[in-house]
Amino acid sequence: MTGLAFIAALFAGAYAVAVLEAWMATGRWRLTLPILSGAALLGRESLVPRRPDRLLFEAGPPIVLIAAVSAAAVLPLAPGVILIDLATGALFVNAAWAYVMVALVMAGWGPNGAYAMVAGWRFLGQLVAYSMLIVMPITTVAMRAESLSTAAIVESQATGWNVVTQPLGFGLFWLAAMAASFIPPFDHPVAPGELAGGVTGEYTGVRLAVFRLGRLVLVLSLSIAIVVFYLGGWHGPWLPGWVWTAAKTLIVVTTMLAGGRSVPRLRSEHLLAWCWKLGIPLALVNILWVGIILWMVDR
Amino acid sequence: MIQAIFVGLWGGVAIWFGISVFRTSSMVRSALSLLASMAAIGGMFLALEAEFLGVLQLMMMATEMSIMAIFMVMFMMDPGGLGQMEMTHQKRAAGVAGLAGGAVAVAAVLLADWGPIVAEADGPDMQTRALGIELMERSMLIFETAGVTILVAMIAATAVAITRQRTP
Repeated sequence: MTGLAFIAALFAGAYAVAVLEAWMATGRWRLTLPILSGAALLGRESLVPRRPDRLLFEAGPPIVLIAAVSAAAVLPLAPGVILIDLATGALFVNAAWAYVMVALVMAGWGPNGAYAMVAGWRFLGQLVAYSMLIVMPITTVAMRAESLSTAAIVESQATGWNVVTQPLGFGLFWLAAMAASFIPPFDHPVAPGELAGGVTGEYTGVRLAVFRLGRLVLVLSLSIAIVVFYLGGWHGPWLPGWVWTAAKTLIVVTTMLAGGRSVPRLRSEHLLAWCWKLGIPLALVNILWVGIILWMVDR
Repeated sequence: MIQAIFVGLWGGVAIWFGISVFRTSSMVRSALSLLASMAAIGGMFLALEAEFLGVLQLMMMATEMSIMAIFMVMFMMDPGGLGQMEMTHQKRAAGVAGLAGGAVAVAAVLLADWGPIVAEADGPDMQTRALGIELMERSMLIFETAGVTILVAMIAATAVAITRQRTP
């Protein structure tokens, strides 16, 4: 039963992300757009390029979806509503997100096309930039909860959300989440207008539909992670827990999608330089800061 | 029993992908096969109820093997393997070294004293805690030394790789 509710929640969330993204891009509310474009994609021929690496070409899109769903599976949506409550959940989400990159490298290499390949490797470079800014802020929320369980991390915020005491970690994680889900201005793997669709450029039909669905779930899983790690998860007055999680997640998705709309795409080497020269030192400062706070509270 | 089946299953998957690393000419397939092999070892850890190690193995290998893939593509002459280029050498020496290494590993497994077998493993949260205490107390010096050494090697490698930019 939890499994069905979880799948339904993921679908509803992915649908909302798709509507929001279309609204950001076109400025129009089109509630039926995901159904229509999904049906259009499923109705189209699914082409295979000439001399592909067939195995990697076929494996790429499903792995994006599987990795994104796996990441969401260890995040609690309400008290007791979590598909798999792992004791190492906060570590497992990282593992799942890392396989999105592997899938994009596969999807870039598989079709035997130059643009797709460049885009796939670019996302590997992007991961080298942002991955530390995903892992290091998670360290500090686990420090406060004294646990790697995601449910325990939410429970530790009953007395106050992490965003209040760890604003630096929140900011870094929010930006890294945008980079991990390749939302503009970090959209190198798809790079519309530059790499002709990037890794998605050679995919059509049902394969592209799977890829897009996976990407929507990825955006959703990263947004739920921000809510779980920093915005108190299901905590909130009056309303039931799942409503709070849903509302906060939608707000986070909106801010993530809106944040990069009017910013030019960041060049790969600039992103690397910013992340390593500024981001990682700030993340270290955040760890030190949280350590000092927890030490003072303990005293 | 089920546990033993899964350990064996993942072990078999790891060996299968380990072999397929060398059976392909495509550098990306080769690197991703190694990733699959390492991920299967992560699956073995999970089947052995070592949750932290299993998840860590899955996470670390995804990034490491992908980075290795791009270096293999950059440095090999026929990265796609479409030219059917022969990329192996010293086959006899490699075969002897491989068999000898395998024999030593099997001998170590059979001859080592593994101590008493724990009937029931601690829960994953207690394992993580025990690992943290180990890293922060008894093994701290070893891990910190190794970490700093690797960091120095990375900085040195980067410094060597950067071409000096002369200002006019």
